Amino acid sequence: MSFDAENKNYWENLRKGEKQALFALYNNTYSHLLRFGLKTCANDELVKDCITQLFLQLWNKHKQLNPVTNVTAYLFTALKHQLLDQLEIEQKIHSAIDNLAAESFGQELSYEDIIIQGQHDEEQKHRLQLAMKMLTPRQMEIVRLKFFEGLSYDQIAAQTSQSVKTTYNTIYDAIKILRKHLK
Amino acid sequence: MNFTDYTVEDFVCDESFQRFCLEDPVADYHFWNNWITSHPTRKETIEAAKQLVLILSAQQGGRLTHLQHLKDGVERHDFLQAAIGNTSSRTARWKYWAAAAILGMLLGTAWLINHTTTPLTPLSQEKSNIISSGAIPRKSMVLPDGTTVVLRSNSALTLAPEFNKTNRQVTLTGEAFFEVSMHSGFPFTVHTTAMDIKVLGTIFNISAYPNTTITEASLFKGKIAVQIADPSTPPVILMPNQKIAIGNIKPYSISTLAADPVSHKATEIAWVRNRLEIENEPLATIAVKLGKWYGIPIQFADSSVKQYRYSGTFESETIWKALDALQLSYPFSFKMVDSTIIISK
Repeated sequence: MSFDAENKNYWENLRKGEKQALFALYNNTYSHLLRFGLKTCANDELVKDCITQLFLQLWNKHKQLNPVTNVTAYLFTALKHQLLDQLEIEQKIHSAIDNLAAESFGQELSYEDIIIQGQHDEEQKHRLQLAMKMLTPRQMEIVRLKFFEGLSYDQIAAQTSQSVKTTYNTIYDAIKILRKHLK
Repeated sequence: MNFTDYTVEDFVCDESFQRFCLEDPVADYHFWNNWITSHPTRKETIEAAKQLVLILSAQQGGRLTHLQHLKDGVERHDFLQAAIGNTSSRTARWKYWAAAAILGMLLGTAWLINHTTTPLTPLSQEKSNIISSGAIPRKSMVLPDGTTVVLRSNSALTLAPEFNKTNRQVTLTGEAFFEVSMHSGFPFTVHTTAMDIKVLGTIFNISAYPNTTITEASLFKGKIAVQIADPSTPPVILMPNQKIAIGNIKPYSISTLAADPVSHKATEIAWVRNRLEIENEPLATIAVKLGKWYGIPIQFADSSVKQYRYSGTFESETIWKALDALQLSYPFSFKMVDSTIIISK
């Protein structure tokens, strides 16, 4: 069963009141929703809380839920609204509110911004910023695909038309550079 | 693969290690937890590698912690719904119990009905009005109103006629552990020869074997009212972690539950608790153990689930709690059909 078909199946069972379907849907979509949220708001704790809230609301109103053709897209939109509400309440991250409220919803944070903003310690933030500057654009892109998008070496190799071995070595070298500058 | 020579870079680049750090649903938790405990000298390397994976993923881990938050939230929500739903009931007495329940909640009493994660199909009404355990050490069941009961050996529970239709009255001889469901409009009453116990949603244990002189009720969560058989004695309200005993001291004695020094759980229900220690065992084997302990048959609707492997130690009062705990690692579902638990994907 495809990812979307699985989610649709969980959705239908959730509408029937199956609590286990709620948790299964959560497990299946967690990393996707988290990445989606992080692109507009680099505060991982906030995004994770919003995801929990979103699923609690689904459970709260599961009897009133309608059939949905694209469950994944529905969840993304719902998370977007959840984040918007949360950010408005907190009035903290103004640039992110602008990003989210923008008609296009296109202005995503760069990978570099996301991981740097995710650091709470100022010193660590600074060191990470310097270390990331040592990577070539190609290394940065492949590191992003591997660690942020969660793709496998095989998938990255296919996407970038290079061998799995080269992909692995590119990441290995990048990690070595980062390690050296983060110490 | 020989991980002992791995550098920080090697670990960071390893896909299985990445899944473990990010708490991916398909990660090999058992392997990595084991490897880490059996290689204490590599602790620093592992820590450094894990840190790096988390930084580069923008802290995408934490799924299991947050899943637990979600589960807690769902249970609190269901509890609240049940408490609010019940206040619209007819009788004044019922309103009193519902109000007591809400008050108890406001006071911070932890009221969790743990077995409700999966919709359970209870025993059919016609099948039996008397449920007895016979010689087996424990027998688990779900009553038509959703209440879960574990009967100790040589015990019997009789459901009153029209149970869950016009009343929720049961009569107990022997010993039983109850988790009373609140999804019903009638107060739940347990009759024994020495006393009657009236409850809303609560967790308690009653020991009322006919051949002993002492009858005891131990309360773990919620509130119960005990009416002693002698009608001149007014009802006694029991608070959580209290026990009432009738038989040795007249008219009764109330004491605090004695906690087990090791598990910190009450010794009164040591008979029902299963301390399950699992070391990388498949669900098929675990189900056999659980079924034997709690006295309930378990079947698999889906054989792929049988292969899920688990490690860990946990203690649970009911089989539903035990299965809930297992579900945290791998998602599977279970339901009750005709006094049998069916596990499926």
